[in-house]
Amino acid sequence: MRNKEEGFHVYEYAIFAGVTVLTFALCVSMGSVSVPIRDTITIIWNSIFNTPIPDTIASPSIILSVRLPRVVCVALTGASLSLCGGAMQGLLRNPLADGSTMGVSAGASLGAVIAIVLGIKMPSLPFAGTMVMAMAFAFVSLIIILTLAYKMDFSLSTNTIILIGVIYSMFVSSILSLIITFAPDKVKHITFWTMGSLAGSSFDNALVLLIALMSFGGVIVLNARELNAFAIGEDNARHIGVNVKRVKLVVMICVSGLIGVCVSIGGTIGFVGLVTPHMVRMITGPNHRRLLPASIFAGATFLMLADLVARILLNPLELPIGVVTSFIGAILFIYIFYTSRRKSHA
Amino acid sequence: MLTSVLTGCSKVNEMTPQKTFEQTPSVKSTPDSTTKTKEPAIIVTDMAGREVKLDGPVTRVVALFPSDCEILYAIGAGETLVGRGEYCDYPQEVLDVPAVQSGANTNIEQIISLNPQVVLMSTMDQTEEQVAALEAAGIEVVVSKETDIEGVYTAISMIGTLMDKNIEAETIIESMKDTFFELSSKATGNEEKTIYFEVSPLEYGLWTAGNGTFMNEIAQMLGLKNCFGDINGWGAISEEQVIERNPDYIVTIAMYFGEGPRPEEEIMNRAGWENVTAVKNGSILNLQNDELSRPTPRLADGARILYDFVYGSTELD
Amino acid sequence: MLEVKNMTVQYGDLTIVDNVNFTVNNGQWLMIVGPNGAGKSTIINAISQGVEYKGEVYFDKKDIRKYKSHERARMIGILAQNNYTNFSFTVQEVIRLGRYAYAPGIFSRQDEDDERHIAEAIEMTGLTPLLKQSVLTLSGGELQRVFLAQILAQNPRLLILDEPTNHLDLMYQKQTFALIQEWLKSPGRAVVSVVHDLSLAKAYGKQALLLDKGKVKASGQIDKVLSAKNLDEVYSMDVYSWMRSKLEQWK
Repeated sequence: MRNKEEGFHVYEYAIFAGVTVLTFALCVSMGSVSVPIRDTITIIWNSIFNTPIPDTIASPSIILSVRLPRVVCVALTGASLSLCGGAMQGLLRNPLADGSTMGVSAGASLGAVIAIVLGIKMPSLPFAGTMVMAMAFAFVSLIIILTLAYKMDFSLSTNTIILIGVIYSMFVSSILSLIITFAPDKVKHITFWTMGSLAGSSFDNALVLLIALMSFGGVIVLNARELNAFAIGEDNARHIGVNVKRVKLVVMICVSGLIGVCVSIGGTIGFVGLVTPHMVRMITGPNHRRLLPASIFAGATFLMLADLVARILLNPLELPIGVVTSFIGAILFIYIFYTSRRKSHA
Repeated sequence: MLTSVLTGCSKVNEMTPQKTFEQTPSVKSTPDSTTKTKEPAIIVTDMAGREVKLDGPVTRVVALFPSDCEILYAIGAGETLVGRGEYCDYPQEVLDVPAVQSGANTNIEQIISLNPQVVLMSTMDQTEEQVAALEAAGIEVVVSKETDIEGVYTAISMIGTLMDKNIEAETIIESMKDTFFELSSKATGNEEKTIYFEVSPLEYGLWTAGNGTFMNEIAQMLGLKNCFGDINGWGAISEEQVIERNPDYIVTIAMYFGEGPRPEEEIMNRAGWENVTAVKNGSILNLQNDELSRPTPRLADGARILYDFVYGSTELD
Repeated sequence: MLEVKNMTVQYGDLTIVDNVNFTVNNGQWLMIVGPNGAGKSTIINAISQGVEYKGEVYFDKKDIRKYKSHERARMIGILAQNNYTNFSFTVQEVIRLGRYAYAPGIFSRQDEDDERHIAEAIEMTGLTPLLKQSVLTLSGGELQRVFLAQILAQNPRLLILDEPTNHLDLMYQKQTFALIQEWLKSPGRAVVSVVHDLSLAKAYGKQALLLDKGKVKASGQIDKVLSAKNLDEVYSMDVYSWMRSKLEQWK
């Protein structure tokens, strides 16, 4: 019997990585200001090898300081959010679970806003206060939502969790509006927290995202087999010997951490974690050993493209990126909901 | 009918004298000089084209919009103010007046409890339903609607009539016109430099003021070209576009709250902006007091600050 | 092998399982019977550490709480009553997960031993033609067999089956019980199963545990436990005459 290795072969990784790199190149060379592709390559090439960029090229700083860090941040955020979505869907055996549908992202943004308003800061690290509060609130939100769901419906059915997630999001956004009304000056524009934006991202942001993805995301990927068991059912996972309490706690901490970091840097970008794992599952199947790595690449690709649309659709105006992802995500949500309902009635 | 004319005007940028004529509220107040027992009737057509009649001088006013408050103080009628919108913050004395909620959160009961004769509000953030509710409570509503500098003159003149301060109002309008005339005539002849107005900083997503804004109008008056004159009104714009359009001057109206870098310092330190002319020359102006964004007599001050910033200090008359 | 001592399970004020005691020894097949709500499934959940309980459960004379999750899974295989999933795993993937307990944690490689047990389990349950199929496309009975195969691949010493023939038609019922009987023949094994069908219980089991409202009504030799008097009291009806009258139909 073949199929000893359930994970990817090297060439399969190469395909996913190749598509992601091509998308990355496309998104760096396209933008509000058009820079010829040859110039773009020259700019990046020369700056990597530290050779001077010829004066004939108009604006290297647009590529190097504005577009490149933004696209990198977008890719890392997309990868992180998709990974979180895939992990939560497996953990809860719920194809509609996602940071935004469950209210975890909303919770994280509440934490970030509270940190900003109260001026919670860590010495030496300017953004750490916001980030830690976002992570903590994401985790607490997840616990609250799941506890409420357990109380109402012990089997944790798909609909109960989503319903509670939606109600929780509304509750959080009302508190958010309240805080922003009282302290409008210190807090970012409300659309940042509800629709997200990665405009003005820096390489520092990218580094933080990368570290979060490597650490939290790495732990999630290493729990792929356990997530397979959870995706089949929590009881089944326990029966085959998974330490369900520990795995659940570890995955929830990592998901909250990753969502917290993403939200504190890019605001709430909805539905990314719903859209990409769903599309990836059509290609790889539900096995998390393939689904999770593929979601990382696909999430990066998807969000880079969504951001590209946000950047160039109404040029020179810019759309919030969440408008694009939510537009696609909401349609897909209804589709998944509809098909899964039909399946369960059949 | 007047409303439609005004809306039409806002799309045109140059000032034309004919519009002044049309926009001036038709004032029919005729002080009855022969009998002193009877109070003069005041009739004002407001900027939404509504006719408002009042039996006598106005002594109790609630103004919801910051510019209306400022105009009241400017014409010397500040003491009539019994309530102000929560965002009215100029001049300093206005903060002693009880604040009421405004905009979408307008609380009609709160306004009624202050027992005003007249409520001044702006079409900018109030609705017709709110007007109707106040009128049903027996309170007269006078609506202002300033979309360009001519509109500001109209509003000053209208409020002057309403408060029986016509002479004061005309003095202010003349003074504004003088300032603008002086600055624009001094500014002509310079080569056309570009300016970028930053309404919201990068951290919150860049927003700028485009065509049809006071900033745009004053920039043109001073012989400057707004980088984003191709955008209508205020809009979220791409950071890349600002760098590409390479403004000679940057004006930011971002607020500074006493911590972190000041708005102009923050712009100076933005990655990728180092080759923007304004950043290279340090030509960044931070306006903290809405001098260029609020339709008030202070627009003239704002224009002067901007002129000084661009052309160097001028001698005051 | 398995010893349950003074087990009590409560949900709030409600006592679901009330001071239950029983033991299962090598080679035994214990039938747990009783009406709906007697606490049968809850006892199984408690043994698998899925619910909190008072009292003790010993496996090989050691408190089961002291085993690690994967150690427990190597000894005890549990077939739940309801198995369904929202994701289209293949039959093969679900069965292979049965070997999780032998290589838990991060850097797992499946060895020949794993492959042998997986192949055996597939063969015993006759699932070879369905291996590549998605579990979402299976009938209830086929799905039940997939999870049975998963447990067999787990190679436990004790099988705990919660209504193993729940979704199965008559032929598969017979095949499944025959399969379990065959499995039990190897030394050092035992089976505990919750069974609703009293005649099936009697046909395959030698020991029984009769539960009523969370309490043990009787336990021991199946013929003594399922006496007419006990069943009348537990089911509030004349079970023996009902069974006989049903059989009459087939003469």
